[in-house]
Amino acid sequence: MILQLLANGLIAGAMYSLVALGFGIIYTTTKTFHIAHGAVYTISAYVFYLFYRVLVFPLGISLLLGLIAGVILGILIELLIYHPLYQRKASGGILLVSSIGVYVFVVNLIAMLFGNETKILSPGIEKTYQIGTIILTRIQIVELLVFFVLMISYLLLLKKTNLGKLVRGLADNPILLSVLGVEVSTLRIAVFAIGSLFAGASSCLVALDVGIDPNIGMPALLVSAVAMIIGGVGIFEAAALGGFIIGILQNLAVWKLSARWQEAVTFTLLILFLLLRPQGILGKRRRIEEL
Amino acid sequence: MNYILHILIMISVYAILAFSLNLLVGYSGLLSLAHAAFYGIGAYTTTLLIVKLGFNFFPALACGIIAAMILSLLIAYPSLRLRGDYFILASLAFQIIVFSVLYNWVGLTRGPYGIPGIPRPSIFGFEFNSLPRYLILSGIISFGVFMFMKLIDTSPFCRALKALREDEITAGTLGKNVTNLKIWAFVLAGGLAAISGALYAGYVTYIDPTSFTLDESIFIFAIVLVGGSGNLRGPLVGAFFMLILPEALRFLGLPDTIAPNVRQMIYGLLLIILMRYRPQGLAGEYKFE
Repeated sequence: MILQLLANGLIAGAMYSLVALGFGIIYTTTKTFHIAHGAVYTISAYVFYLFYRVLVFPLGISLLLGLIAGVILGILIELLIYHPLYQRKASGGILLVSSIGVYVFVVNLIAMLFGNETKILSPGIEKTYQIGTIILTRIQIVELLVFFVLMISYLLLLKKTNLGKLVRGLADNPILLSVLGVEVSTLRIAVFAIGSLFAGASSCLVALDVGIDPNIGMPALLVSAVAMIIGGVGIFEAAALGGFIIGILQNLAVWKLSARWQEAVTFTLLILFLLLRPQGILGKRRRIEEL
Repeated sequence: MNYILHILIMISVYAILAFSLNLLVGYSGLLSLAHAAFYGIGAYTTTLLIVKLGFNFFPALACGIIAAMILSLLIAYPSLRLRGDYFILASLAFQIIVFSVLYNWVGLTRGPYGIPGIPRPSIFGFEFNSLPRYLILSGIISFGVFMFMKLIDTSPFCRALKALREDEITAGTLGKNVTNLKIWAFVLAGGLAAISGALYAGYVTYIDPTSFTLDESIFIFAIVLVGGSGNLRGPLVGAFFMLILPEALRFLGLPDTIAPNVRQMIYGLLLIILMRYRPQGLAGEYKFE
């Protein structure tokens, strides 16, 4: 029982981690509290659903189109909303409120087009595999595999490529970067594209596993923001650690309390971290003025 | 006629919420997404005292205010240590935890089933049981809140809050007690939001946790941002605008199935456009700088 819950927690954690990595790379580099990340998450799953179930495209192509839709929305949000505000040096509050506006707009557009009800993407019983006492479905195994592939490419991208170096530079000091002749606006677009891709990957897989409704974005976004803070803001890969902690804790909460307390558990954890260790698990201690 | 009275009653309820959130967002510069939580705490405390212990509306309202004030200390404390996005996230966490408790503590709140049959308020045998009578009650109370806010708006307390909003460290070095100021802003805002909650519960005579969700918090937040914050006019304009807008849309003849979505999309667009071109809202003062 507990092993099964741990396994479920790990898989949920893997999916949270992907959204959180996407949210984290955007927040760390552009200092934008990207609530509309939840909208990107939702739109990927819905475009995937549209092609896969409604227009009956093959799975692979639908998945690809879903991811592309998410990336396009992410880039559009940056180009149309954040970038003009960034150039005006708008405060974090203004960025956040605009982002809430985008989220509300996109999610209600989706609800208007597709309806509010839950949609199932893979009807029928999934093939399951038994490993010891743990039972996993095929999709859950795919979820784990995709996580590993994306996590490794993320680390390689950040540590080994030139783009990764620039992204880390952007997090450090965007002004200095532009002085050195780097096109910061293009780099920001790249960051939003990467972040949105991660959100889309997670949402399409979760959609296959448990289905979709227009409001899936907000919980996913909130968990990813919490995961980033628990892991440690400013350290790109730390968000994944936070994602796993939340996934496992939520599933243990199912065991000890009930599924309805999952959100309360996540956010109690957040408040504890904010008060006792605001720099997160891996973060370095900073003064309050720098937060 | 009843339709107009209903809208006016709802405007008075939301105007109080907007004034209350304005204390935090507009005067103190603390973007809080937890206001539906205080609204809910006020509604639930008042209702439970009336339904379970047979209190009259007004003493129950007083207890609801006190309960919300005490709980607002819980969110005031993190606000002393967290800045910007971190504080917003903490307030959001508070909102979600309160909602979870209202929803899951079935023994006390009846959870998702809600509490039906809340009696209408009465005073000395006079029952506010019709729409015009209820409008008188909610009108008087919201006017009282307006006068109270007017008092605050011109007080040294408010000027100190604004100083803190502009630059906390400077305000502190000038001898303002930042801790106390913030705590008072939260306590007052929490208490005022509880009044709205009680008025809402007494009016609708049925409450369930879905009236106090994060979406509701965002809606209250949007009222203050669209109307504008940092002065008295802004929240009032916001409450009128945001509550009349859906009714105006109704006359456009949108089908009922998509009308709520279209309304929300307009709210979303409004927030985006205002933040871009007019961060102080329609009639506000504070520009989030």
